[in-house]
Amino acid sequence: MNRIAPGDLWELLEPVLLLVERPSRYLGGEWNAPEVRSGGASVVLAYPDVYEIGISNLGLAILGEVVNEIDGARAERVYSPWVDMENEMRRAGIPLFSLETQTPVGEFDIFGISIPHELTYTNILNLMDLAGLPLRADERTEGPIVVGGGCGTANPEPLAEFFDLFALGDGEEVIGQLVGLVQRSKTEGWDRDRLLEESSRLRGVYRPSDYTVEYAADGTVKSVTPRGAAPARVSKNVVDIDRWLYPGRPIVPFCEAVHDRINVELFRGCTRGCRFCQAGMTCRPVRERSAGEVVRMVDELAGRTGHDEVSLCSLSSTDYSRIEEVARRVSEVCAHRGMIMSLPSLRMDGMSAELAARLDKGGRGGLTFAPEAGAERLRRVINKPITEDEMVEAILCSVRAGRRRIKLYFMIGLPTETEEDVEEIARLVFRLRDAVRREGLAPPSFNVSVSTFVPKSHTPFQWSPQEQMESVRAKHDVLKSTLRSRSVNLSWHDREMSEIEGFLARGDRRLADVIQRAWASGSRFDSWSERFEYSRWEEAWQAAGVDPDFYMRRERGPGEVFPWDHLDFGLDKEFLRREYERALEGACLPDCREDGCQDCGVCDALGEEPVLKTGGAGL
Amino acid sequence: MTAPEGLRLRVQLTKKDRARYLSHSEFSRTIMFAARRAGLPLGYAGRFRARIKLSLSPPIPIGVTSECELVDFELSGYVSPAEARQSLSDSLTEGIEIVECRLMAAGEKPVGKLIDTATYVADVPLGSRTRADWERAASEFLERASVEYVRVQPRRTRTVDLRPGVHRLEVAEEAAEEGTAKLHMTLDDGTRGTIKPWEVIEVLAGAAGSPEDAWRGARVNRQGLFARRGDRLVSPMEIGGRKPAVPRRGGRRY
Repeated sequence: MNRIAPGDLWELLEPVLLLVERPSRYLGGEWNAPEVRSGGASVVLAYPDVYEIGISNLGLAILGEVVNEIDGARAERVYSPWVDMENEMRRAGIPLFSLETQTPVGEFDIFGISIPHELTYTNILNLMDLAGLPLRADERTEGPIVVGGGCGTANPEPLAEFFDLFALGDGEEVIGQLVGLVQRSKTEGWDRDRLLEESSRLRGVYRPSDYTVEYAADGTVKSVTPRGAAPARVSKNVVDIDRWLYPGRPIVPFCEAVHDRINVELFRGCTRGCRFCQAGMTCRPVRERSAGEVVRMVDELAGRTGHDEVSLCSLSSTDYSRIEEVARRVSEVCAHRGMIMSLPSLRMDGMSAELAARLDKGGRGGLTFAPEAGAERLRRVINKPITEDEMVEAILCSVRAGRRRIKLYFMIGLPTETEEDVEEIARLVFRLRDAVRREGLAPPSFNVSVSTFVPKSHTPFQWSPQEQMESVRAKHDVLKSTLRSRSVNLSWHDREMSEIEGFLARGDRRLADVIQRAWASGSRFDSWSERFEYSRWEEAWQAAGVDPDFYMRRERGPGEVFPWDHLDFGLDKEFLRREYERALEGACLPDCREDGCQDCGVCDALGEEPVLKTGGAGL
Repeated sequence: MTAPEGLRLRVQLTKKDRARYLSHSEFSRTIMFAARRAGLPLGYAGRFRARIKLSLSPPIPIGVTSECELVDFELSGYVSPAEARQSLSDSLTEGIEIVECRLMAAGEKPVGKLIDTATYVADVPLGSRTRADWERAASEFLERASVEYVRVQPRRTRTVDLRPGVHRLEVAEEAAEEGTAKLHMTLDDGTRGTIKPWEVIEVLAGAAGSPEDAWRGARVNRQGLFARRGDRLVSPMEIGGRKPAVPRRGGRRY
């Protein structure tokens, strides 16, 4: 394996490195960074945010390794340059370049961009522009094919004009197939169109230009019509994560990353059916990794990285079939290697004293739970019917295990929410605190974090309007006045950011113009409060003649065609509608693990079954 | 195997190539992760989350290369210097190489409390100036009783006197690379305060009439770190070994 000599770009780049904050973001060469070979099919994987966030992304770490194990293929990385670096690059004429070999992104065969959330859309456009590519897919006649993947593909329509392809669902298998097609296109001399054509036939690959969207007089989508041989609906990909044991060699960044630890997935998907949760809906069915593989990966990855913390991740860790066993075995590995274990996404009804004791003893002290709503009625609306007794128990377990800080996540703006419900958040927090006192324990400090509910595609709430910014402000004021205590610290998500999120989350192709205008007027890093400017977006939608209320404030009709209906994540739209109606009645839906199939449609549509690793010990 | 109380491993490393762009915290983090990967018998501190016990030499500005970065690891068990060198070498990233490893006896000062002096060599582009301009600037600098410099730091700006912290300043006789002057500097760095090489270069450039875009292109290399003993510079790799190893007439005069 010959390392490609850094190209001419390095000469241009080096003087710039001393002018920017944290040059290590642009260096490459970290521990476990791949030694890439020259020639063959080349993929550059991009994350549309700064290095410290992008390097923590598990999906790209997995895909990079999968590609680099293919003969005659290589994957490199790129992240959004921070504003200072962007200025220097534009001034010095440095195009967006890969970290491993400083190759201009425009020279790769595939430009894969992760789409994590709506507030990265302007960064995505910026990546394409810095790479020297025309932004609109129909203006690109050469250069890499631009493929989007990740959570954002649940409704990629606002970005449809910018991407050549989207890969829906798990990417492990399809990225290899795309690479295979690139290799064939090289030996058989295909042109770019042929390559796109062939790629669009792969399972889970959506080529937006294959679909024509027509709009009705009232502005809603009238129809989405496939052209030629394109299927009426594109189904997402699903893999068995016990057969894809990645990443095996996670890159260890020089700097401290946002997730500065080993991440090992416990499972994908979730059966709980919380009605606000997009991932819980679009990542179905649930597929567990066997306990033995989890433990083995933790041990191997610890040796290969030198990390002192491991996180077992999933959408709801306590739901893992053998959570107590896996927590015990992983904490043994941790004790041996001088590491700590953390379990994010803990449900309060699954918390036990034993589990609490296994987690990072005392450590940095915090545990996070998400009651989501203060009132029990509202928790039934969102189908997360955790009782107050269960919450008290979870808090007591945590405090007894030495936790001094408890973080609680709540949402405001949920359907049917009243001011009374918001006040109930404060009362709940105080009742939890008092319950700890009654046990004769010192109450921990509570960090109460409040976000604004944003209805998302492919969820039961996709019909629901998003709460007005003014009334969100009023609810924040209610919380500020009621949640006053020395032991309670309140923080909330920026209202204006939630507004942009909501605007884009259920948007259609007509928003392309708005996004492009916002980017052109300087929007970058919209999820960074110091960079975000709401007025740029206001100006953008005014200039584009788009009414944001149409996308956010409407109660959508029961029969309305949604811009994302042709993207098949397995969910039956009638199931989602039934769920929405049940939500408004405050009726819960049981978990299909315990109460049998609830007809969400996923297993039938995808030909998959839930994979639960409940088998005997030692598996 | 338990180690004698306080046994330490002292490692001298380079920081070159791409590694020179790492900040001090990134460099130390990289060393710590490497030590864990190497499986060294490390000593830990802290009640809950264990932190590796180590001591580092004074920070170096981003972009400056170094032949001599030092780290003392506290050990929880015995490891031979040769073995430590091998396993650590296999765990380090590009540009960070081990120059030497040695075991330190208990009670010796860790590098963080020992180092007070650094030597640098800078290749300064001459631009429109000559070597003689820089020589004159250097000798004028040394003749002065004090050299005031406005030090701008993130939280405060103040005027400092550079002169007492500069112990040697010399434009080398030997032929430097075409169009550059080779500047040797011995500066306070560590327990007695820190003079940054760029501060001295900036002052000299001002005296020599060199424009900023010329002298900013200088390549600076930290050559060594020392403890001053009288008029001698003693290498931390020579003192405080497991056996008494203080050279009676060792060290380099400056």
